[in-house]
Amino acid sequence: MGASTGNANEPLVRISVVGSTTVLPIATRTAEQFVKNSNGEVSITVNGGGSGVGIQSAGSGRADIGMASREITPREKKRFQTPGLRTYVVGRDAVACVISSEVYSSGVHALSKEQIGDIYLGKIKNWKKVGGPDREIVVIDKEAHRGTRHVFMQYVFGNERARAPGARLVIGSNNEEQAKISQSDSAIGLLSIAWMNDDVVGVGIRQAGEIIEPTLENVRNNRFPISRNLNLVIAGEPRGKVKEFVDYIMSPQGQKIVAESGFIPIHPN
Amino acid sequence: MSFISLVLIAGLFGFLVLQSVPILAEQKWDFLLGRDWWAGEVYGALPMIYGSCMVTGVASLLVLPLALGGAIFTSEFLSAKQRLWVKAMMELFAGITGIIYGLLGVALMAGWVKDSFGLIDGNTILTAGLLLGIMILPTILTLAEDALHAVPGCYRDTSLSLGLTKLQMIKSAVIPQALPGIAGAIFLGLGRAMGETIAVMLVIGGLDKIADPWYDLFAPAQSIASKLGREAAEAIGSGLQWSALMALGLVLFFMVMFLTMVGNLFLKRVR
Repeated sequence: MGASTGNANEPLVRISVVGSTTVLPIATRTAEQFVKNSNGEVSITVNGGGSGVGIQSAGSGRADIGMASREITPREKKRFQTPGLRTYVVGRDAVACVISSEVYSSGVHALSKEQIGDIYLGKIKNWKKVGGPDREIVVIDKEAHRGTRHVFMQYVFGNERARAPGARLVIGSNNEEQAKISQSDSAIGLLSIAWMNDDVVGVGIRQAGEIIEPTLENVRNNRFPISRNLNLVIAGEPRGKVKEFVDYIMSPQGQKIVAESGFIPIHPN
Repeated sequence: MSFISLVLIAGLFGFLVLQSVPILAEQKWDFLLGRDWWAGEVYGALPMIYGSCMVTGVASLLVLPLALGGAIFTSEFLSAKQRLWVKAMMELFAGITGIIYGLLGVALMAGWVKDSFGLIDGNTILTAGLLLGIMILPTILTLAEDALHAVPGCYRDTSLSLGLTKLQMIKSAVIPQALPGIAGAIFLGLGRAMGETIAVMLVIGGLDKIADPWYDLFAPAQSIASKLGREAAEAIGSGLQWSALMALGLVLFFMVMFLTMVGNLFLKRVR
């Protein structure tokens, strides 16, 4: 992979993309197509690590493009003042509060912001307090730099860096979260809606007397309260093949791939 | 060759010390004794030091009877051919890299611990300790067996001719002679256990807290290596968080160095 064939006069351009595991599927699939279209001129590597790692890598020059499923924090902006970070929105996504399918089928279909907050604070410890089975809640938290966590905590506590003393486990990527919740029959966690499946079910959010389900429809019409932009972060002005790649992702072909990956394109039609 | 290794190690040590200066200047003793770690606010290493010690302690308690029993059996009861077979297998297993154990731990061990002990979740100190024990068993077994086998035959012959049974001979004549080598094997195995990152990271739970009570093996925790594994990538290069992580690395460096030094001191007496 990445052999220097094709146009003999052009040296192979290597692009490295690092960061959010939510944006990862978009980057991987568009990169595959972009590399195919480029006739061997470009080679793209995509790695996970989380939004914090993505922003950090882009800012420090370790990667050409950083992926982030949250906004850049003031602390990060200041740290990478030179050459300055630019954000390019490539899609929209929502963060669902997810629970084990066994708890969902026992009757817990929706939770309010206050209930979720109390669970993460350790005030509610048993599922029966919120209408579920008599089992202890396995509260799964994420590493503090993860974009999904920032967005979730911003909604639940009004503070993207809120602490969760009620947590039982701290895990990393969307992948790991999905695995741990499906392995348990009593877990609660936070996950990008594109990663939900039969074992990992998103609860509706009970707000102002109504229940808002975590569906793409509700994200599109802005009813679902925990949604975020999916960003590419680049240090300075993007040039050459990097600019072409970003333009490709934001083009109709790229946005089609975004939609197929389970997210909302930036110009939904 | 040894000069190059010395320079490299001294260089690594110097690098860790230099990188640790900012956080130690900022927090001083609160770094080692603090129980709270929250990036951007405070960095307390005690939960991670506790985690490393607990996990290594559990691993050693579990592995010692098995490794030593296996070593004695291999050295004193097996034929030469069977012995070589066992040694070859152990050395093969000793070379299996940590991630394989980590994947097996996630897939099998965590679920087994959860079901066997009726816990809400299987990512605990016990799980990590068990996994580490399995990892270091081959190393300790093969090194301890070396020590036992190296005891000269005349000790055995003399004991048996004096009328001792085989078991009495092993207990009174062979083991005491091999003790320095056995101790050395144990300390080297522990040194490896303390530095193991990925296998521990996947099953320990990742919670930066000291369990309550401290001996609760069914609680999630965080070791120094697993903390570095989870947080290093987001903080690379500069800042107080990076300095704190480097200082954690320095603490681990000292702990492993101490174990290895003690182990080598014992082994020297064998050779």
